[in-house]
Amino acid sequence: MSLQNLVMSLQKFWTDQGCYLAPSYDLEVGAGTMTPDTFFRVLDKRPWKVAYVQPSRRPTDGRFGQNPHRLQKHYQFQVIIKPSPADIQKIYIDGLASLGINLADHDLRFDEDDWESPTIGAWGVGWQVMLDGLEISQFTYFQQAGGVEIFPIPVEITYGLERLEMFLEEKDNIYDLKWSEDVSYRDLRFEEEKEFSEYNFNQATVKSLRKYFELSEKEAAHLIEKNLLLPAYDMCLKCSHFFNLLDARGAFSVTERVKMIAQIRALVNEIARKYTTNREKP
Amino acid sequence: MEFLLEINVEEMPSSHVRSALADLQEKFSRELAAAKIPVGVLRSYSTCRRLIILADMAPGQEDREEIVTGPPKAAAFAADGSPTPAALGFAKSKGIPVSELQVITTDRGEYVGFKKIEKGQSGADILVRIIPQILSSLSFPKMMRWGEGSLRFSRPIRNIFCLFGEKPLTFSLDGLTSHNATMGHKLLAPQKIEARNFQEYKDALQEKRVIIDEAERKQLILGQIESHLAPLNAQLYPDPELLAKLANDVEYPYVFMGSFPEGYLNLPLEILSTAMREGQKLFSVVKGKKQLPFFLGVADSPADPKGFIQKGNERVLKARLEDARFFWEQDLKTSLKKRAPKLKLVLFQEKLGSYDDKVQRLKKLTAYLCAKTEVAKIEKDVVQAAELSKVDLLTDMVREFPGLQGKVGGLYAKAEGLPATVAQAIYEHYQPVGLEDEPPSTTAGALLSLADKLDSIVGVVGVGIQMTGSSDPFGLRRNAQGVCKIILERKLNLSFLRLLDKVCAVYGDKLKRPKEEVIDYCREFFLNRLRSIFDKWGFRYDLVNAALGVGIDNLYYSYLRLKALDSLKSSPQFEPMILMAKRVHNIIGGQPPGAMNADLFEEKGERELYSTFSIIKENVTPMLAKGDFSQAQKIIFRIQPSLNNFFDHVLVMAKETKLRKNRLALLQAISKILNQIADYSQVVVEGEKPNNKR
Repeated sequence: MSLQNLVMSLQKFWTDQGCYLAPSYDLEVGAGTMTPDTFFRVLDKRPWKVAYVQPSRRPTDGRFGQNPHRLQKHYQFQVIIKPSPADIQKIYIDGLASLGINLADHDLRFDEDDWESPTIGAWGVGWQVMLDGLEISQFTYFQQAGGVEIFPIPVEITYGLERLEMFLEEKDNIYDLKWSEDVSYRDLRFEEEKEFSEYNFNQATVKSLRKYFELSEKEAAHLIEKNLLLPAYDMCLKCSHFFNLLDARGAFSVTERVKMIAQIRALVNEIARKYTTNREKP
Repeated sequence: MEFLLEINVEEMPSSHVRSALADLQEKFSRELAAAKIPVGVLRSYSTCRRLIILADMAPGQEDREEIVTGPPKAAAFAADGSPTPAALGFAKSKGIPVSELQVITTDRGEYVGFKKIEKGQSGADILVRIIPQILSSLSFPKMMRWGEGSLRFSRPIRNIFCLFGEKPLTFSLDGLTSHNATMGHKLLAPQKIEARNFQEYKDALQEKRVIIDEAERKQLILGQIESHLAPLNAQLYPDPELLAKLANDVEYPYVFMGSFPEGYLNLPLEILSTAMREGQKLFSVVKGKKQLPFFLGVADSPADPKGFIQKGNERVLKARLEDARFFWEQDLKTSLKKRAPKLKLVLFQEKLGSYDDKVQRLKKLTAYLCAKTEVAKIEKDVVQAAELSKVDLLTDMVREFPGLQGKVGGLYAKAEGLPATVAQAIYEHYQPVGLEDEPPSTTAGALLSLADKLDSIVGVVGVGIQMTGSSDPFGLRRNAQGVCKIILERKLNLSFLRLLDKVCAVYGDKLKRPKEEVIDYCREFFLNRLRSIFDKWGFRYDLVNAALGVGIDNLYYSYLRLKALDSLKSSPQFEPMILMAKRVHNIIGGQPPGAMNADLFEEKGERELYSTFSIIKENVTPMLAKGDFSQAQKIIFRIQPSLNNFFDHVLVMAKETKLRKNRLALLQAISKILNQIADYSQVVVEGEKPNNKR
């Protein structure tokens, strides 16, 4: 099965479960959790079911295309279901079976791994799902986001698509994966990894990044003031990405790192607070 | 009657399972005792998906008999034996026919009345009430909610199986209703299982790939490991924590063995074994001290029929080892020294600055410690180790495996060809982690560890971070225990208060609280740590109080004081001497210090005491200075006959002021020497009246 077939199978499986198939978000994010389709939708009390592929950027994980299993950008398949169904583990297991994995021949484990993101004031309880020793998913019951207690509780399932595909193809190198029958992961992504690693680690202009961060932060504050919470949140995502780039450039002084995380968190918490208040109004 | 409860939960961490079972048993016993239902055997079983309680208990409360008395016999029956209106009224008010009234003889005479039988509540009624309460009250280190329920638990509860006397026991909890059905292994045999009793339950689960007894699973794992290792004549690299975790995490253990390319064996054992354990929870295999290119893993499965489990794990491990080798080679390209300036960018604590600041302090502190413990010849090495001790925080290897901090630095130092003393000191400077862990094996490592831990403690206390209750956010208690353990085991003879003073001085104006306050707080803090260590080591609490009662300027001496007391505690002189010391203590209590004048001693008893004391003092002074409290105490105890004689024949509180002051001064001098060993007034002597004050 190629990577694109894997995506299509997961889309089919989760839309059959009633999920709405969202397009990928069009900003740089570190994880599918950070896009509005997850962040805002878990905050209110309404039921929500969504599935989407999200390109996720982690500049410090770049390896110039030289490491067979680390990338500065990878693809996540994100599922959110709220409230979490009682048989969600079984559904997830059925999902793996639908990919043609005969679990009787393998070792599938839910291994304790709680999740936390200080930048967006969120945490949850759950596992990393291990298949024959390979981490293929994160499985999390959200408890808090944007500093707000969440209820009802959503479950988040995040598949690492490259990992899962490596398992299915029994390959040791990401770049050898089949994107489609005749296009490889290398064809599509190798040059990008090389160039972006060079940008992330060596060429991004630190002074400009700081400026971008500052401007986006100001804009976010301004938009919060105007009660434009979705655009304000976009600005926070930009802050977060500039922060990650500064991190890759090794540009932080002693206190700066902690301070910048706190700055983003304060904005995000304010957005979450306003959003829930607005939504609870009759 | 048999009671059986299984709470089916999504995979719980082993620490949660352990605490929940203990909590569950304890609360179950307590509640049933409160309901006056006797419980025989009470057992618990578990897997990561099941909390199980099995009890043998009475079917319910016993019926209670109560005697209810009414009017006196004389007033209850007429002469013809027919009931009077008084008897009729009584019977009616209690709702029984008058014919059931009996004559009951009491101390006050004969009355009419009847035996009332209070039906005991059935066990089922009580269980249905208390079990949901108990389950709702269990607490975990981290709790969660799920779906739309209101319960907080370790992980979502998905089924409740409950039997009492071979019948399903039905109660509700957060939207679930208990019944007599559970499920086999979630992946291998997810079929419904019904059972009427424990034996059926256990057998059915076993058949459906679930072994409910953790000890049994552990034995199975060990047995299978052994059968893999015996042919190779190899051993497991011991990891009891991992074994306990795996015995919890699988319901049906299967041990598989795999291998990795021998090329990776040039990585150090610490790194290989950590890479195996952290991600995939694999055991390392060794032959003596040599690592072999094999690993053992535990799957939740009856077998690995197609070899997928082994092959998959080999593939993942190879990638991880490739990473580790990449980190190793990459990290070694930059020497520790060259990397060190970047420590300025790593935060140690917000108010205390960077790790570079810390390292600069450690250099000063280690130099001081070398001077004070008279190991000047290794000073250069220890200071160099201090300078490089935190650099590994900047390496990829420690970023990947934070638990290897220190060790990685030591390994890199060795690979770079730095002196062995330096490398070893860096390697072991986080030790001991907790009281059970070994302290550093070398003097250099021990001094660096002391400096590092004291710097952290004084810094955190000095910026005013409060420790409350059981919270220990910076691991200060553990660090302080480590400090005590190193000083006691290394027999380090140094002034602790001056050391604290030095640590404060090195911080300079970074500390927000006044120096005196910080030192006072630390002294109290360490006093408590020492007390708990001595307590754990089994010393008598009053001896501990006596040894610590004279101050803790020198932690090692505090220990020697305690050992001196402990060694003599059963000798025949001990108690009489303690009583004598207390008598001295009480007499001079509240008296102003005075000067002693040998010419003023008039009576034989006091002259004799004075001369005995002078000889003893001359003898023990050098011993006390050396910390030989055992020997000094033996000699001081020889003062007892003279002291006894003195009290029998000499009046301390003489009318004449000069004489009285002089006698008191003699006792003060004696007390001063005694106090150099211990505060004997804190020793409890059997049969002694409390508050024995004059």
